[in-house]
Amino acid sequence: MANEKELALLKEFAPQIEHTNLIQAVWMFFLAAVVGLGFYALYVQIAEGHEVTGMRDNVVWGIYIVNFIFFMGVSYAGALISGTLHLFRAEWRKPINRIAEYITIIALLIGPCYILLCIGRLDRLQYLVLYGRIQSPITWDVIAISTDLFGCFIFLYLAVLRDIAAIRDFQAIRIPKWKRKLYTWLALGYTGTTEQRERLHRATDVMAAMVIAIAVIVYSVLAWIFSVTLQPGWHSTIFGPYFVIAAVFSGCGVMIVVMWLFRKLYHLEKYITRKHFVNVGVLMLILAALFGYFTFSDYLTKWYGSERNDELLISLLFDEYYWLFILSNYVGVLLPMVVVGIKRLRTINNITISAVIVVLALWVNRYLIVVPTLESPYLPIQDSRPEWLFYSSTWVEWALTAAGIAFFALAFTIASKFIPIINVSEMADSSTLEDEEILT
Amino acid sequence: MKKFLFANLLWLISTLLLISPSLSAQEETEAEEVEPVDTYISFIATYTSNDTVVLTANLYIRNGRVRVDLENAPISFTVSEGTEQIEAGETFTDSTGIAQVMIATSSLLRNEEGMVTYMADFAGTDKYLSTSEMFVSKPAKLEVSFYEEDSVKYIRVKGYQFTSNGEAEPISDETILMFVPSLFRPMPIGDVWLEEDGSGSMEFPMTLIGDSLGDITVIARIDEHDSFGYVKGESNCEWAVPKHLLSQDKPTRELWTPVAPLWMMITLLILLAGVWGHYVYAVVELVKIKRSAKKENIQEKDWSNYS
Repeated sequence: MANEKELALLKEFAPQIEHTNLIQAVWMFFLAAVVGLGFYALYVQIAEGHEVTGMRDNVVWGIYIVNFIFFMGVSYAGALISGTLHLFRAEWRKPINRIAEYITIIALLIGPCYILLCIGRLDRLQYLVLYGRIQSPITWDVIAISTDLFGCFIFLYLAVLRDIAAIRDFQAIRIPKWKRKLYTWLALGYTGTTEQRERLHRATDVMAAMVIAIAVIVYSVLAWIFSVTLQPGWHSTIFGPYFVIAAVFSGCGVMIVVMWLFRKLYHLEKYITRKHFVNVGVLMLILAALFGYFTFSDYLTKWYGSERNDELLISLLFDEYYWLFILSNYVGVLLPMVVVGIKRLRTINNITISAVIVVLALWVNRYLIVVPTLESPYLPIQDSRPEWLFYSSTWVEWALTAAGIAFFALAFTIASKFIPIINVSEMADSSTLEDEEILT
Repeated sequence: MKKFLFANLLWLISTLLLISPSLSAQEETEAEEVEPVDTYISFIATYTSNDTVVLTANLYIRNGRVRVDLENAPISFTVSEGTEQIEAGETFTDSTGIAQVMIATSSLLRNEEGMVTYMADFAGTDKYLSTSEMFVSKPAKLEVSFYEEDSVKYIRVKGYQFTSNGEAEPISDETILMFVPSLFRPMPIGDVWLEEDGSGSMEFPMTLIGDSLGDITVIARIDEHDSFGYVKGESNCEWAVPKHLLSQDKPTRELWTPVAPLWMMITLLILLAGVWGHYVYAVVELVKIKRSAKKENIQEKDWSNYS
């Protein structure tokens, strides 16, 4: 049964689940409209073919793949952050852990959709399973992503089980009958007996460790799709760890942005405090340093090696993509260091602004990994049209990108209407003075 | 000294003033009169083993010492026996300047000695002058076959030439060059001497590498012959060493070879088994949570009945 602390917290969060106010309704309508625009773009792409995108024979991957890498990275970051904080029993994690768990699942649902948008012959998708070669990194990725998705769902379910049971037991909440039945069914009869608590605890610990391992492996596999090829700029032994670091870095940025948004939307100032922003910000600072180190190391060795195609690629990055390169690898790295590193600048808004720029920089970083390399291949296609040699994204691709971001926010909002965005049960377990103050 | 410099300067200026009008006049003349360029054709007729003759014309111009092939130019081919002439076809040159047509040897016009006259003709354009080339040869044929004697494999070549009325006669006392196809140009494997009866043979080189089934094409050729010009015959056999793209002693990525990447499979299976094993453990724990809840409900009901 739900304890008094849980019920007190649930009373506070019940309006989130019971009602949708005008601002929330407008927000959700806006997001749904952007998703709708994405569906229209998808219709155009299916009706007219991939010609409506900027992808051509030479540059066969565009911003769909960039979005895929980006969302998968955000997902793995969520898993790594929530899993690590859970295992280290960090008390301060409790109000923000649910956000990390939601980020994991929602981003993981969106990411692979971009692969489907990129595939020209979707009618042959089943061949991946029917005729997939286990030696192919693409097959590794399919296995890894499905394994990760399954594991993350189990982890999220374990993490929300106590809250579901608490809502089921909270009689004062005004929700439809079907919703109450759903809570009862999902709660699995959990009442918080000693045996149940121990079992849940053990399973959550195991899954927390698993999602960390899986996140590292899966994102490394994604990096290997690039690095096992001999393309200039991709064939690098450090691509696996580089991708993992970049993923957690971008995930920290997304987490801070989501924390800021929900703090404002649900007035969670009491729970998500400056301390949380600073703590995740410090994590972001460390990752910025690591990311900068990996980036520098990768480009330095390529530049010093003076291999012809690497030189071409680097000259392209410092010429055609100069500003994007500066944003991605200088601004994105140095800004969080300055903002979080200098105590006076360490405010919630400053950290959030730097997180927005980090997210943008990391998206651009993935763009610079994918597109310029394909624009400077070892063997250019013979007799290709000059306008096909370089990539230029179209409105269809941007509309579907916007739809992905909007769906991310929409799914987050809908999920928060089902289970509180703050982990009520874990907060009720807190015995620290600060948490006691919150409860009173 | 000053006088000397002044004189030199004056000389230089006057020279330049004199030369410049003549230079510009020359340029104007060149711009006005652009003469058509001379064109050249190299032309051969090759008799094949399937009773056809392939007429190959290569059209080009000369830019100093460099030979430049002309693309997309119409070449018309004709066949004659001296007086009468028939059209053999018209085609355009490809990017390498080559135009080809194939005609049946049965339709050829022959003179009394059995010789056929082939013509390749380029009509010319505003920029390129017309040109034509002739090739005279006697129709011939080379047949390649294979036989085995006392466990030794042989290639047999039979050569025929055709008289004015189309009758076949053996080609005797001739050397035939033998080849197998290779990546850039045919690889020579030996030669065959044609006896009085028009046939000859050579031992099949057992070291030749064929396709994955051991199939290989053997080509017999007469090149630049005074009478026959170019004659080519070819046939397939399965005696070559089957080609394996995989070297068995090197590690490969294929799973069906003896050196399959077992390390990869084992690593992958251990990882997957480890991860899914833990998933199963977590799901089993959830099932046990549900079961314990059911047990509790039953106990509560029993207690309430008892009380």
